[in-house]
Amino acid sequence: MDRGVLMASVGSQPSSGLSPAMAGMEFSDAEVMLRVRTGDQSAFDYLVQKYRRPLVGFMYRMARNTAAAEDLAQEVFLRVYRSRETYEPSAKFTTWLYRIATNLAVNHARDTRHERPEVTVSIDEPDEDTGATFEVPDGTLTAEQAMVRRERLLAIRRKVEALPERQRLAVIMHKYQQMDYKQIAEVLKLSESATKSLLFRAYETLREQLKEFV
Amino acid sequence: MKCDEIREKMPDVAAGLIAATGDESKHLATCDACAGKLAEFRQTMALLDEWQAPEPSPYFDVRLQARLREEMAKPQAGWLQWFRRPVLATALTLLMGIGVGLFFTRGRGIYNPGPDQSIAENFGSVEPGSAVSDLQALEKNHELYADFELLDDLQVQDDVVANP
Repeated sequence: MDRGVLMASVGSQPSSGLSPAMAGMEFSDAEVMLRVRTGDQSAFDYLVQKYRRPLVGFMYRMARNTAAAEDLAQEVFLRVYRSRETYEPSAKFTTWLYRIATNLAVNHARDTRHERPEVTVSIDEPDEDTGATFEVPDGTLTAEQAMVRRERLLAIRRKVEALPERQRLAVIMHKYQQMDYKQIAEVLKLSESATKSLLFRAYETLREQLKEFV
Repeated sequence: MKCDEIREKMPDVAAGLIAATGDESKHLATCDACAGKLAEFRQTMALLDEWQAPEPSPYFDVRLQARLREEMAKPQAGWLQWFRRPVLATALTLLMGIGVGLFFTRGRGIYNPGPDQSIAENFGSVEPGSAVSDLQALEKNHELYADFELLDDLQVQDDVVANP
């Protein structure tokens, strides 16, 4: 996840071309970030292109709202940009990135704790989770199957959201961001064994609570 | 291998992030409880896969670029930037207010030194028996001397013959 090749197709912003010195060469993300520090805009665009999707996904599962997720993901990139001059590659880049994202997501969740509407099922509006409407979630499903599927999705979302904050973060990073125990431990500032135990407890809870949908 | 050892790894194995090692596979083949738990974990993981996140919208990059341009247009934060922070500005104003207040109230109120202190401050250390020392003694013992005067008056009264 941390090492990539800068190709000419990456960084599709019209205002910025790739630095000729970097094109086609292999850099770790930390090295790319050091290029950002020297003022290389194409290096920053590369990081945005690489992490925009995972970060929007992470924020979406934390914020439960597409617009807020995009705002928060953009804020992560802005913070990365602001920190470019003080950045020190002491930890893995993704650890640093997800620490910023985690702080933002947790603060957002706390700030909007009382503002969230109750999750409801509407057969007329597009699903907030999938973007699909009730009628056509999948061409192969009947209306009843689609309804069951939607119920199941809501249950998954509710049960993950109902986990204690750290467990929720750990599950989202582990299951949906494919981060290993060590990295999750570093982001959450826990020991590796505490992270293993945290994840095991979280999955046990989910296994128990989602049993009826399996 | 103990059940606890393999159970810690179950989330990773069930999520497909790692494969069970030889020892773990042997244990799973002989321990129904662990094998059952792993199967349930796999089902839970498959269920969790259904919760998909949306792709970033087409406006994501445009908006991010706009926010970045705003960020770049901001003046560089120098040391004067610290004074633009509301908390710091308030704290600094308060400190200045307290300082000015103390300066102007130094001669009065809680910072007004007592008479003993003022004489001592004005004259520094004085020699016993000198005029300054006598004045200090007078000032210090003002109330006592006043009582002596009263006693003197009483003495006068004593001189008066009760039954002339």
